Amino acid sequence: MNWVGLQMLRNDRAKFAAMIVAVSLAVFLMQNQAAILATMLSMTAAQIRDVQDADLWVTEPEVECFDQVKAMRDIHLLRVRGIAGIAWAAPLLKIDAIGHSEGGRLNTVTVLGIDDASLAGLPHQMRVGRADAIRELDTAIIDPGGHELFFPGEPFQAGRSLRIRDRRIRIMGISDIAAPFTGLPMLHTSRSTAAALNLGEQHMTSFILARSAPGSRPEVLCQKINALGGLRARTTEQFAADAMWFYGSQGVPMLFMITITIGLIVGAAITGQTFLMFIKENARPLSMLKVVGTTDRQLGTMILLQGTVVLVLGSCFGSGIAAAVCNAIRTQPFLRSLYLPWEIALGTCLALASVTGIALYASYRHVRGLEPAAVFR
Amino acid sequence: MTPLDLSAVHCTGIRKHFGEDDARVEVLRGVDYTVRRGELSFLVGPSGCGKTTLISVIAGLLETSSGEVSLFGNHLARMPHSDRVLFRRSHLGFVFQQYNLLQALTAAENAAIPLLAAGVRRREAVDRAAALLDRLGLGSRTGAYPRQLSGGQQQRVALARALVHEPRLIICDEPTAALDHATGEAVMELLASAAVHPDRAVLVVTHDSRVFRFADVIAHMDDGQITHVEPRQRTDTATHLGSSRLTKLSA
Repeated sequence: MNWVGLQMLRNDRAKFAAMIVAVSLAVFLMQNQAAILATMLSMTAAQIRDVQDADLWVTEPEVECFDQVKAMRDIHLLRVRGIAGIAWAAPLLKIDAIGHSEGGRLNTVTVLGIDDASLAGLPHQMRVGRADAIRELDTAIIDPGGHELFFPGEPFQAGRSLRIRDRRIRIMGISDIAAPFTGLPMLHTSRSTAAALNLGEQHMTSFILARSAPGSRPEVLCQKINALGGLRARTTEQFAADAMWFYGSQGVPMLFMITITIGLIVGAAITGQTFLMFIKENARPLSMLKVVGTTDRQLGTMILLQGTVVLVLGSCFGSGIAAAVCNAIRTQPFLRSLYLPWEIALGTCLALASVTGIALYASYRHVRGLEPAAVFR
Repeated sequence: MTPLDLSAVHCTGIRKHFGEDDARVEVLRGVDYTVRRGELSFLVGPSGCGKTTLISVIAGLLETSSGEVSLFGNHLARMPHSDRVLFRRSHLGFVFQQYNLLQALTAAENAAIPLLAAGVRRREAVDRAAALLDRLGLGSRTGAYPRQLSGGQQQRVALARALVHEPRLIICDEPTAALDHATGEAVMELLASAAVHPDRAVLVVTHDSRVFRFADVIAHMDDGQITHVEPRQRTDTATHLGSSRLTKLSA
């Protein structure tokens, strides 16, 4: 009988198509918005997670995220290095400055000054050139978005230069780091170069990156560092989570959730209403099936199968469209970090299925209540 | 054998009302009615006299207000709902005035529905239905959809659906009402030749007097009661007459 149900569904092409389109659009809208939200939140922690050689971040106690910078005294670096279980610790200097391209383009840039000796925090993935070329003074590597901003439409290549605070900084390569939340170009330089751009400032450390020695647990080391007083140590994931929470608690997720909820409600309402209409319009054939001995259980299975087919097809189309749009958008340098986690894809489909399930149940109740004798009228 | 053993349908004191108090309508007012095995029995009467309600009660689709219905010795009212559905699936076949074919299915697939409901595998069910359609003169139209069939052809598909699972009671509700006279007669001839069997009964509700000659018994009904039962001598002759005539009509 399940096959009969599928044939009935297939035969009503207009409603079948309408339900699939409704599910597809709802799934696409929900996945697209959820993906943007997830991407934005992950971008707030991208620069933290990009640093793969360190597993501890030490900051001033007030600092909540990567974009909050409070200069640290150099003595702190020595204190961290003095903790048993710390393999190494290195300073990281972060400053914002105005950059000018040769073509006259101007933009604020984020400069990350990496420890000259250890190069701790240097990007590991490069699109063009070598990362360690920044050892030379007044050189830097730039992220793809920054390159596009200063040299729009030009192919990625090393050798161009930017003028920052009256110094000519040569671009030695294009890094492949995640896009930053701020959207500002990211320049990785040596700490010496960054310090030269930061003239007049007394302290040249924004963060301390550290690595736990083999056999030492980063969480335990954090407790030891925090016990020193005047410092706040976190593992990479703790710091990333703090950063995401800091931005996430500022209301933006709620705006996305409203759109996602609207997508869910509208999609489920259209799908459910159309499905219920499909069932009601087929009341006579369904009554006939009841008369000839089709059980309520068989009819319930038929309805469940019909609903499942609609939801699965719609979810596949919707997810496919969402993934295709995501991939198309990712080609833009500034939006290269956009991604659609499978958890979101699955979660949105299940959410829609749960709400649409109410309509399926209502349809089943309707069929159960059908008076089979009505088929004689 | 007692008269009850010979009966396919045995109704005693059937009463059925709809609504309550001021809205109460008494549709069946103590119906006593018997259809014997091997009989082609007609139930006739004016519109609104309760014919459709009575066959709904006989088929177990409606509960009686009082009285008892027995089908081949089984009391439907005493069965749980699920058993009643299974009994109907196994022992009853139906032909409706409006055919009630599923537009999404071919003729053979429509005819196979009772077998599919009983859990028979699709290919086997459709093959059996197609073979029956062939015997009913529709062998060349088994793959056609209802919209591609004439009224007479659709009613033959409905007849095949009523017969395919070899039920013991076939209930037909105005089977000729939507057909012209010639096609209606041909369908009745087919029904008489294909459905009547010593252990099977056929109950036809109609008010088409032109087909009365096919009846073994005609029960007249009026105002919710059987007013009189009239034994007849059936005058149809051929076994395949209906089939050949329908084929000619379709052509």
